[in-house]
Amino acid sequence: MNPPPVRPPASAPSSSPPSSAPATAGAASPSPPSSAPPLPVPKELGRPLLPRTQLTRVRFSPDGQLLAAAAFDGTVKLWDLSGPEPVERSPVTGHHGWVCDLAFVGSTLLSVDSWGRLAATDVARTEPRPIWTVASAHDGWLRAVAVSRDGERLATCGRDGNLRLWNPRTGAKTGTFDLGTDLLSLCFSGDGRSLFVGDLFGTIHVVTLDGGRVARLTEAKEFHKADRIQDVGGVRGLLLAADAVTLFAFGAEPKGGGFVQAVPLLLVLDASNGRRIGRYRGADDNEGYVTDAAWHPDGFVAFTTSGQPGQGKFHLWKPDRPAPHFSGGKLPNCHSLAISPDGTRLAVSGTNANSSGNGRVRGMAGEYPVNYSPVQLWSLSRP
Amino acid sequence: MLCRPEEHRLSRRRFLGVAGTALGLGGLASPLVAEQLRKQRRQVLFIWLDGGMSQLESWDPKPNTPFGGPLRAIPTSVPGVHISETLPNCARVMEHLAIVRSVSTQDNSHSAGVDRIQRGDPKNRGVVYPYFGSAVAKLVGPGDSGLPPYIWVKPMAGGFVAKDAGFLGPKYGALALGDGKPPENLLRPPDLSAEEDAERDELRRRFDGYYSRQRRRDHTEANTQVFETAAQLQKQIELFDLSKLPPRDLERYGTHDLGRHLLLARRLLEAGVTFVKVTSYGWDSHGDHFNQVLSQHPKFDRPFAAVIEDLHDRGLLESVLVIVCAEFGRTPRINGHLGRDHWPEAWSVCMAGRGLRRGVVAGRTNATGTEVASEPVDIGGLFHTWYRALGIDPEQVQFRNAGQPLPIAHEDMGPVEEVLA
Repeated sequence: MNPPPVRPPASAPSSSPPSSAPATAGAASPSPPSSAPPLPVPKELGRPLLPRTQLTRVRFSPDGQLLAAAAFDGTVKLWDLSGPEPVERSPVTGHHGWVCDLAFVGSTLLSVDSWGRLAATDVARTEPRPIWTVASAHDGWLRAVAVSRDGERLATCGRDGNLRLWNPRTGAKTGTFDLGTDLLSLCFSGDGRSLFVGDLFGTIHVVTLDGGRVARLTEAKEFHKADRIQDVGGVRGLLLAADAVTLFAFGAEPKGGGFVQAVPLLLVLDASNGRRIGRYRGADDNEGYVTDAAWHPDGFVAFTTSGQPGQGKFHLWKPDRPAPHFSGGKLPNCHSLAISPDGTRLAVSGTNANSSGNGRVRGMAGEYPVNYSPVQLWSLSRP
Repeated sequence: MLCRPEEHRLSRRRFLGVAGTALGLGGLASPLVAEQLRKQRRQVLFIWLDGGMSQLESWDPKPNTPFGGPLRAIPTSVPGVHISETLPNCARVMEHLAIVRSVSTQDNSHSAGVDRIQRGDPKNRGVVYPYFGSAVAKLVGPGDSGLPPYIWVKPMAGGFVAKDAGFLGPKYGALALGDGKPPENLLRPPDLSAEEDAERDELRRRFDGYYSRQRRRDHTEANTQVFETAAQLQKQIELFDLSKLPPRDLERYGTHDLGRHLLLARRLLEAGVTFVKVTSYGWDSHGDHFNQVLSQHPKFDRPFAAVIEDLHDRGLLESVLVIVCAEFGRTPRINGHLGRDHWPEAWSVCMAGRGLRRGVVAGRTNATGTEVASEPVDIGGLFHTWYRALGIDPEQVQFRNAGQPLPIAHEDMGPVEEVLA
């Protein structure tokens, strides 16, 4: 999906609700002038969608009329949003393990799973139609998929340490770069000629595709901690703003493994040179990771966090502000969010309440309960 | 009766061979005799993954099920047996392993669970039972190594851990080697001569004797034993120097804590130590479990497979019982922070070696891993199994605590016959 162009920066203080989450901006940005238009704030749209499984990713189609959700049960749930109420459609099937990430090229949905499968599906019609599949695109957990803004290039990365390029129309492999480390995240540069790839150890590899080489390494070691015999954290996600210059790297500052006590962290980088521009750092180490992020046409980033069970929120933050202008805590343990391309809708996936517990907990009917991810839709309108 | 008489039956020549060396079996003139003695040893390698390893990402995977998680199962060297993809080296040595997939225990808290599992969770008789290591130290004894019978290799600090011994008394406690290092200040300072050291030790003995006449005997015995242990360790200090091992050993085991400690454990078992416990901390994966597993399990998988192969290659799987255990497994349900919580209801224990069949899986869970679908095995049943594997019959052998006979394993339970040789 091609992000829309960035709008002129806001120049007035927001009238939206103040955030309780302290944040620090690394760049010394003056307070916005009073004439700046207010930033949109979310307003709930109906009741949450309730898939009976947990979700890893939600994404809007380029026309904003379809919401896709990657699930633990090896399917991609689809909701038609063109009518007054969301209507669930037949899911995309054929995956194994967890479906981990999604991307769109027009009406083609690209999905990847934890067993290494990459699939392209036409979701224009009511029944999804498989276009092509690569059963073993990677050995094991395929962590991320990304499409260049012009839709001509498709990339994946995985735990096998490989970055791979594919023809999005045919599924033919067009390149492999062995980066030799557990790769967690990736995104294309604005011109599609480079890729930013984040790893477990807090390094962002900048790979130029034409030359086929690693052009630069940007170190962000605060994303990683070696705790006993475990490597914790990593660059969990990368997002390029519409200006093609502002690169967000997100994850957390881990304090340890186990419970994964971690302070959410979102670094703002200059994509052209890796220089740090600013950062959001969460309030405490119960908030956990920044799990997903999306760019809004009005020039702010929306992101989710998931901390100790029952913790986690979503935030809307303009990087030149000291704190998010909105923080939503209704859904705990948020793992993904998406903004419709026209900027009018937001979808956030969280986790049901009481999702944790030692020993044999029971559901209302005495059954062993399955957790699930409610998806709340919001409208985004200026107050 | 703690042992069978024939296990102690040695010719005079063999006896002299044993007595002639203070360094385990290394000094025996006849390799044949050494081999025979090795086979008579009864030893244990007890690997404790503190916090609880997930059965679903190790010995009992349930891929493509609601609680199966993102990972795959892989085939092993035993046809039809699959384990998690996180353990490819264990899959390779599966032909030596015995897995019980129907473990169901009683406690889902760390604080109580660790003790209940390691003490065998016997009936409450108002006494504190020994940990398995202390019990084996008592029932099997120190053997011919000249080394303490119960050594605990662990991260962080070491010392002598008397509490493990329970009613057996502190001398059956664990000598803990913090970070696998010998106790601090073990060696005689260079400016102290051997004669001066001996004089000091004699003075210490006299004071101990005077002190012990007015105190509880088990405490003074334990104190004396600490000094004797130190003396024994001084003679075998080279055991702790892993740098002289072939580089390939270090590579196979890894340079992280668990790798180094399992390599040291192999060395201690080769030297004849009766019970070696290796503890790895940090397995309590309530959050971000699957990434933790992918980072952590390889650091168990490689050195564990290496130690199994090495024990096998040296013929030591005939005498060493290997156990991989924790206080519980982890919940099938995946919580909102992508973790698995504590789960004693249906989990797995892996074993190998002395007294066990090889390449077997006993017990099963249901399709989603939420219930034991065969006869559940509590820790008491595992204690029966382990004692039987060591040639100790819990029906015949009892502890005595101040004259009170006490069963060595829960008397209402029995062994897992399917895994016993």
